[in-house]
Amino acid sequence: MRAALTIDNYGLDYLTASGVVPVLRDVSLAIAPGEVLGLVGESGSGKSSLAWALMRHLPANAREISGSLQLGDIDLQSLTAKQLTAVRGRRIGMVFQDPSTALNPTLTIGRQITEALMRHRDLNARDAKALAIELLGHVELRDPAAVLRRYPHEISGGEKQRVIIATAFGCRPDVILFDEPTTALDVITGARIIDLFARLRAETGVAALYISHDLAMMTRVADRVAVIRHGRVVEQAKASEIFSRPQHDYTRSLIAAVPRPERRLVHDIPGTDVLLQARGIEVQYGRAGLFRAAPPPATKAVDIDIRAGEIVGVVGESGSGKSSIARALTGLARFSGAISFDGGTLHGAGDMGAGYRRDVQIVFQHPDSSLNPRHRIGEILSRPLKLYGGDTAAVPRLLEQVRLPASYATRWPHQLSGGEKQRVAIARAFAARPRLVICDEITAPLDVSVQAQIIDLLLALRAETGAAYLFITHDLNLIRQIAHRIVVMRHGQLVDSRAIDAFGTDDVHPYTRELMAASPAPVG
Amino acid sequence: MTELLQRMIRKPQGVIGLTLLVALAILCLLGPWLAPYGPEKMDFLGRFRAPGWQNWLGADQFGRDVLSRLLSGARATVPMALAATLAGSAIGAVIGIGSAYLGGKSDEAIMRTNDAVMAIPGLLMALLLVSTLGNGAGNAVVAIALAFAPGMARVTRSVALAVRNQDYVKAAVARGEAAAHVIFREMLPNVMGPIIIEATIRVSFAVMLFATLSFLGLGAQPPASEWGLMVADARQYMHRAPWILIAPSAAIALSAIAFNLVGDALRDALNPRDDR
Repeated sequence: MRAALTIDNYGLDYLTASGVVPVLRDVSLAIAPGEVLGLVGESGSGKSSLAWALMRHLPANAREISGSLQLGDIDLQSLTAKQLTAVRGRRIGMVFQDPSTALNPTLTIGRQITEALMRHRDLNARDAKALAIELLGHVELRDPAAVLRRYPHEISGGEKQRVIIATAFGCRPDVILFDEPTTALDVITGARIIDLFARLRAETGVAALYISHDLAMMTRVADRVAVIRHGRVVEQAKASEIFSRPQHDYTRSLIAAVPRPERRLVHDIPGTDVLLQARGIEVQYGRAGLFRAAPPPATKAVDIDIRAGEIVGVVGESGSGKSSIARALTGLARFSGAISFDGGTLHGAGDMGAGYRRDVQIVFQHPDSSLNPRHRIGEILSRPLKLYGGDTAAVPRLLEQVRLPASYATRWPHQLSGGEKQRVAIARAFAARPRLVICDEITAPLDVSVQAQIIDLLLALRAETGAAYLFITHDLNLIRQIAHRIVVMRHGQLVDSRAIDAFGTDDVHPYTRELMAASPAPVG
Repeated sequence: MTELLQRMIRKPQGVIGLTLLVALAILCLLGPWLAPYGPEKMDFLGRFRAPGWQNWLGADQFGRDVLSRLLSGARATVPMALAATLAGSAIGAVIGIGSAYLGGKSDEAIMRTNDAVMAIPGLLMALLLVSTLGNGAGNAVVAIALAFAPGMARVTRSVALAVRNQDYVKAAVARGEAAAHVIFREMLPNVMGPIIIEATIRVSFAVMLFATLSFLGLGAQPPASEWGLMVADARQYMHRAPWILIAPSAAIALSAIAFNLVGDALRDALNPRDDR
């Protein structure tokens, strides 16, 4: 039987100002009809470039140097622009990473679905609308007829991704490319999208190329998994076998980096003295206007205790108010309530003196935006030293503390990789010799292997300095490896708070159980 | 810096703009020495002499050499326009970044006041200020700077608002840095790109505004050889000796074009996405 999609010995270069950059080399993959091939790789491995090459939408500086791309019996590379429009959508569909930018904000959902259906299924407007309602109902959207009349900003991210998936499946293509379809969504929404994908695929028998950086998730969606590194496929195996019998060293290192809740990385027990006690923290964004009421608070009377040297995990889906807690504790957001710290009580950002500012440090989620692009690394690190009293000669020691060479002091942030930038941000926080470091989703944008290194570093720094962590994350498996206590938030409220030993017990909050079900431990 | 220059001269507009700008700089520095005659040297036999070998660009109603007057007048025109733009941009940038940093009600108050000032046309504003402060080149510079500030404040604020939300600014605020440090050290370097581009384009407006003020008799005073004033003086002899009018007008237009082209080239060169 002919494969639905064949990639044979494919090679791709990008021409840049600094020369030719190889992106893909000797990539050979085949997807049988009805099969799902998972493509796993870290950022920069060329996995998205492969998807764009298949969609024939490469940037102008891309050069295909070898190989062929076959969709069934069609040679994709030889198609003219006009022939391509007959293939895209109809024969090969695509689901994008970020649903918020994949839909046109100025058109209704209905316009966008029916346009695709009318074009690719040769339907008239009325039949297309009827089919659109059927399709949206099929992806478990409530009241599909109403959704058709809405604009993209009026529905949630998960609903948008459902609309895109419904459109892709509705055109009945032979192959659908999924480019990290759940990365931009929170855990529970992502888990539901994966369930939906599994069901639709069983019903339609479509072949798919499923691209992701998440090896653990692959075992749930793919039949076969290919691991790609630096543009080369290093290993291909059945999804059920890749975890239990990895062949290549790189695959093994990827598997080792996947967080497993049963493998604890922290073994000590924190002290009993409370370092920071937050009571009734309510964060309020925006004031009441002349004609409108104030928006509801982002968090509702949240109480959190952090003991000296303790690692407290805060988990919850996006919009649950976990980052608002971080902003309140660092004085970045207006809040009501009280924070007791070091014998004093604070009622607002104005009460936070230099002592509190030094003792409580924050590391942000995006390493790209947390370092000033116009300051050298040395200047970035010397700033807290100047501010809180310290010798700027300590900069090399700070860099060494986060396992970076001292020569990095003269570099600019854009010359560093994402993981290195995050190390600099951690070094900046520790330059103040803090007693509490708030980590706001600091591992979320990083690859698994880099994430594991950052976690190792944080634990080593904690052993050195005895700092406590408030670790905000949506990755339940990761936080169960390191936290002493986990706090679960939902809709701005604290729904569950328990020590790690009591986390797996039966009396957990139903929402906690739902979270745990959405992030199952990797098999094997 | 050299990299920036290389990126600017990749397009012909950048090359032309930079060449014109260098020529203008040479005129400002060496103009009086390059001039064949003194700017105020009169020649009563040569009144309204057409362009020729004696006076390359002709002579005016007093027989003064137009080319010499242009060359020595460059100093009176271009540096003034630059000074006015620099002062206006600096004032506007500080207002814009400060407003974005403060946010909330202070931001509203500052920007609404700014909008009110902006509602007055630039020339009218400059006229108002000069008539209050008195005639003269120095006052014209102040007037143009103040007329430019609100526009610059708007441009800067829109960029600064995006920078304000960056994590490095939040980190500085969380660290407990003083407002001045956050505004000048963290935010200002990151909004410089758009400010520089806007300023280069505004220099050309300043040249013209300055010429207009002089033309109306409110800027430089006779017998100065400021370009706008030269146009104003030449107006009544327009039909008899058009070259007296055309030469300074062309000089004003060319310098305006030079700054505009350089501004455009800078905008493209500073855009990091333009990497090919």
